[in-house]
Amino acid sequence: MTEVYDVAILGAGPGGYVAALRAAQLGMRVALVEEARVGGTCLNVGCIPTKALVTATDLLARARRAAEYGVRIPEAAPDLEGMMAYQRAAVERLVGGVEQLLKEWKVTVVRGRGRLVRPDALAVADGAGGTTEVVVRHIILAPGSVMARPPIPGLDLPGVVTSTEALDVSTLPAHLIVIGGGVIGLEFACIYQALGSRVTVLEMMPNLLPGAADEAIAKRLAVVLRRRGMDIRTGATVQAVEEAEGGLRVRFTTAKGEEAVEGDRVLLATGRWPNTADLGLEEVGIRMNRRAIAVDEYLRTNVPNVWAIGDAVGGMMLAHKAMVDGRVAVENIAGQKRAVDYRSVPSAIFTSPEVAGVGLTEEQARQQGADVRVLQFPFSANPRAQILGETEGLVRIVCEAGSGRVLGVHMMGPHVTELIAEGALAVQTGATADDLAWTTHAHPTLTEAVLEAALGFQGATIHYHRKT
Amino acid sequence: MSEFLELTVDKFTFRFATDRYYHPEGVWARPEGDGRVRIGLSDFAQQSGGDVAFAEVKPVGTVVAFGEEVASIETMKTDIVVPAPVSGTVAEVNPALEMTPEVISEDPYGEGWLAVIAATDWEADRAHLMDAQAYLERVREVAEEEMRKK
Repeated sequence: MTEVYDVAILGAGPGGYVAALRAAQLGMRVALVEEARVGGTCLNVGCIPTKALVTATDLLARARRAAEYGVRIPEAAPDLEGMMAYQRAAVERLVGGVEQLLKEWKVTVVRGRGRLVRPDALAVADGAGGTTEVVVRHIILAPGSVMARPPIPGLDLPGVVTSTEALDVSTLPAHLIVIGGGVIGLEFACIYQALGSRVTVLEMMPNLLPGAADEAIAKRLAVVLRRRGMDIRTGATVQAVEEAEGGLRVRFTTAKGEEAVEGDRVLLATGRWPNTADLGLEEVGIRMNRRAIAVDEYLRTNVPNVWAIGDAVGGMMLAHKAMVDGRVAVENIAGQKRAVDYRSVPSAIFTSPEVAGVGLTEEQARQQGADVRVLQFPFSANPRAQILGETEGLVRIVCEAGSGRVLGVHMMGPHVTELIAEGALAVQTGATADDLAWTTHAHPTLTEAVLEAALGFQGATIHYHRKT
Repeated sequence: MSEFLELTVDKFTFRFATDRYYHPEGVWARPEGDGRVRIGLSDFAQQSGGDVAFAEVKPVGTVVAFGEEVASIETMKTDIVVPAPVSGTVAEVNPALEMTPEVISEDPYGEGWLAVIAATDWEADRAHLMDAQAYLERVREVAEEEMRKK
């Protein structure tokens, strides 16, 4: 059976389904090919379920401090089955919501595993031996990413899990060892610690969140997590996972030599790879950039009318980046000529405390030869943070020394995943520190920490003093 | 064991260990032989801050010049930027600072040390530092000036 569409999209994750909806808004006939569930990794086993767990564990932590606020909550404790039900309900609600949107916009969802067979056709195997061919003018490849599997012996041992299995908190390990101190590893480390597991994090690079956060913030986060009892080892290269009495042993090397740690569950969180194997890409002549699909700044592949977006093209592997990619590719298909602009893609890390950032880090700005000033303000001096009782954290604004143009904003602290939006706007619009300083920020809010940091450009920070 | 001079201004008492030298901005330096110089905050400097939340010292291997920032102490009231009282290379950083930075307030001349610097020319830098008595006089001037402002 063949049908003709204007655009077919391979993969219904955040990149794919947003592209599908945008294309439908522009009047195109859209086929959206998906072998599992719409929403992809993000909705089903990524962003959404993890944030549900973070919400639950944050509430648990706050409830345990209730007496500080004059509220009596006798024995705040996790109800693991209840937490799983809550997590599943959040996922179902959102998946259902996306399905509904696709129906309203008359997007044809073709269920099955798709492959590129020609520059103008996808073949979709329905799993029961049948194949549908979808013939199109334009194809958008949005197959997403998969967990990276480094060549470490022992990863197949029982008790070694990836993030998907780690979402199941119905049984807790006494000691969780996390291989990888990046975003995924640390979010789970915080979740499990809040639920009562002892946690050790092993990160190969000298700092946590390598490539994902400003170095000063990453160092500060390590200090805060260690003070909360997490065992964090940086500069630790894992050599093997082995069976040990009572569980698993992870052997690693540091500057001090060979070391090992034992626990009963190991979470492998060493990153994600583009999901580009076995999709017919090489056969159709799509140029690759190692595992990623090679694209230009308009998200075109080397094959005319074949586009690629999201995690599959590498770069920042974030759902919101995939969504923007989807919108860019579709608008280009519709005749616009829009290049991607990733300068203001924020990162939002739901550790406890949260970390967020946008634009250049201090190191990146200096490497690019900019004359850099860094303006800083601690949440300990912010009234709203003091009222909340969450004062560990700070705002750092990286700006050009002369003009004060904001090159990057980096934060750690309460709700910074929300606060970063102001930083993204500043970077996107070329705002200066003075623009931020003369924009009135409501009192008493956490946003005033951005204001006060920006005031530092003129040496005018009011509620904190940096003595030189 | 160190001996101390004391100065009381209004309701504050400041102590000054006599066995070391002081940079005018409140950083002490004590040579330990082999070109090693241990540094830390004076009692006056740490009292002017507030409770220490984070103490960040430049990592081992960093080269610093006299007067250049070697550490940053975030307290509840202020960020204390700590100038190096001696030129050289950071050889050691106090490991206690990460988990218990309050040691800077509790024992600024002892357990609250910040770093050990391998000095390039201690004698030359020492000429720019004060002894405990001279630093005490300077603190008296500064503290009395602040009292007058109130």
